[in-house]
Amino acid sequence: MIQVRGLTKEYGTRSRLRGAGTVRAVDDLTFDVQPGKVTGFLGPNGAGKSTTMRMVLGLDRPTAGSALVTGRRFAELSEPLRVAGALLDAGAVHPGRSGRDHLRVAARTHGIPLRRVDDVIDQVGLGPAARRRVRGYSLGMRQRLGIATALIGDPAVLLFDEPMNGLDLDGVRWVRQLVRGLADEGRTVLLSSHLMSEMEQTADHLVIIGRGRLIADASMQEVMRREDAQRQVRVRTPSPRDLAGALRRRRLQVHPTDDGDLLVEGATAETVGDVALELGVAVHRLTEEHSSLEEVYLDLTGDTVQYRVASAPEPAELVRR
Amino acid sequence: MTAAQAADRAAAGPEPGTPSLLARTAGAEWLRLRTVRSTWWCLLAAAVTVVGIGVTAAFDEAAGPGAPSAALPATFAGEFGVLLGQFGLLVLALIAVTQEHASGSIGPTLQWTPRRGVLLAARVAVPVVVATVAGVLLALVADVAAWLIAPELTLSAAELAGSLGGVAAVLVAGSVLAVGVGLLLRSTAGALATVFLLQLVLPALLPGFGVAWMADLGEVLPGTGAVWTLLGEPDMTAAHAAALLVGWSAAAMVAGGWSLLRRDAS
Repeated sequence: MIQVRGLTKEYGTRSRLRGAGTVRAVDDLTFDVQPGKVTGFLGPNGAGKSTTMRMVLGLDRPTAGSALVTGRRFAELSEPLRVAGALLDAGAVHPGRSGRDHLRVAARTHGIPLRRVDDVIDQVGLGPAARRRVRGYSLGMRQRLGIATALIGDPAVLLFDEPMNGLDLDGVRWVRQLVRGLADEGRTVLLSSHLMSEMEQTADHLVIIGRGRLIADASMQEVMRREDAQRQVRVRTPSPRDLAGALRRRRLQVHPTDDGDLLVEGATAETVGDVALELGVAVHRLTEEHSSLEEVYLDLTGDTVQYRVASAPEPAELVRR
Repeated sequence: MTAAQAADRAAAGPEPGTPSLLARTAGAEWLRLRTVRSTWWCLLAAAVTVVGIGVTAAFDEAAGPGAPSAALPATFAGEFGVLLGQFGLLVLALIAVTQEHASGSIGPTLQWTPRRGVLLAARVAVPVVVATVAGVLLALVADVAAWLIAPELTLSAAELAGSLGGVAAVLVAGSVLAVGVGLLLRSTAGALATVFLLQLVLPALLPGFGVAWMADLGEVLPGTGAVWTLLGEPDMTAAHAAALLVGWSAAAMVAGGWSLLRRDAS
């Protein structure tokens, strides 16, 4: 259980043009991360995800508000690895130390037996590479080492910041199963990732932030249901002109696609199928298309993206607040 | 408190007290030090410099013209050796701190030991003890080697105790300064430059210009106190030298401690 209450972080900025000022990286965030679930933590670059995680872990000092891990401030914990494990930055390891020695240091701070070090090395599949210096590790190996470090104390709470970065397909699948397994064991899992399809498959609950503010804090179903009104049906037919005409007469919005299909907005597959039957035209494909998490996410965060390319999506209204 | 929180809490088990936490953290700091090669390179550099200079000085003494007028204690070898060789040990202590900030591994470190007061105590104590013990042992080796090379040198227990006490004082003060500056600046290059200037370069160069204010400035630098403690030069009271060693290391400790305790980790 992680409880974030009114968490705020301001950074001082000094600019010759504008003088001294402050930037709010995190602005009055409040949310809970529940045990037994994978909570996806989403937001554009610079939204404040990492800063929030750093404050939860006591690395950065909040300007206001608080974050509690299992009811206590992380910075007060004597044996934090037994309470919460985290992978924030896989690169944050001394390059001259071996992966195994890195884990030995972690274990030493908690009196964790050496056997457990070798157990987590096996669990993350680091194998013999664990005895090599971290300098020679690929990003994927560093991610595995970071995950091993998070798991070493068998904690009830886990925070993973972009754990799938740099992993190959097998690695991504492994992280997905690992994270699911950890949540199914009743642990609290906060997972940030930019891989929306992965998030859609893995997360039960979503916390979405933009420009440091909370945009959505809802279950995956709630977030996805929001888009159901906009679901559409894709239909492929040898006579698109006739079918489109018949559908339009029923006051349905029809858009032809580049590959010759029709997209019918706000309709169900049944409606479109019945219209085609009435009209007597063949249907070669008929699918209901739900928005992906990626589309919902882009819609939700559209107006909060700080670093964007020239053609940006339209601003969207917010789910909450 | 919810049931989930209660379960979370029960899983954590009884927590250790501060003394055992401190012992664990110090053990982890020692493990950190000895699992990177730079530590051993620094120790090797210190060993070569301290013993090498000591032995060379002893050969020079043995080959010197005629019998020495007054019996010279063999401990001068270790003192000369440490005067220069201390830098290997100060670098060891300094990069133990700054490398964590350079690599970002201060993040994991603080996740494992989030009580920063505990971390600060271990982070200062372990490199200081390692540097001091290594320096005293190397000075002892240099002293004995010098005495074996040049038998006309004297080596009494009292001389040895006094000399090694001075070496220890210089290394404790110097490595506390190095760790403190490292914690404050967090940059290896910046901290190294600062410590070198304060401990070696400025104290050695400033008096040479023959300008009064430069000489005065030299007399308030920590390196000047270290040189006096080792060689008895320049002309200075013991209290003045002690004040320099204690004052500078205390100031560095306060500034570095503030940096670790109060600033965001980065």
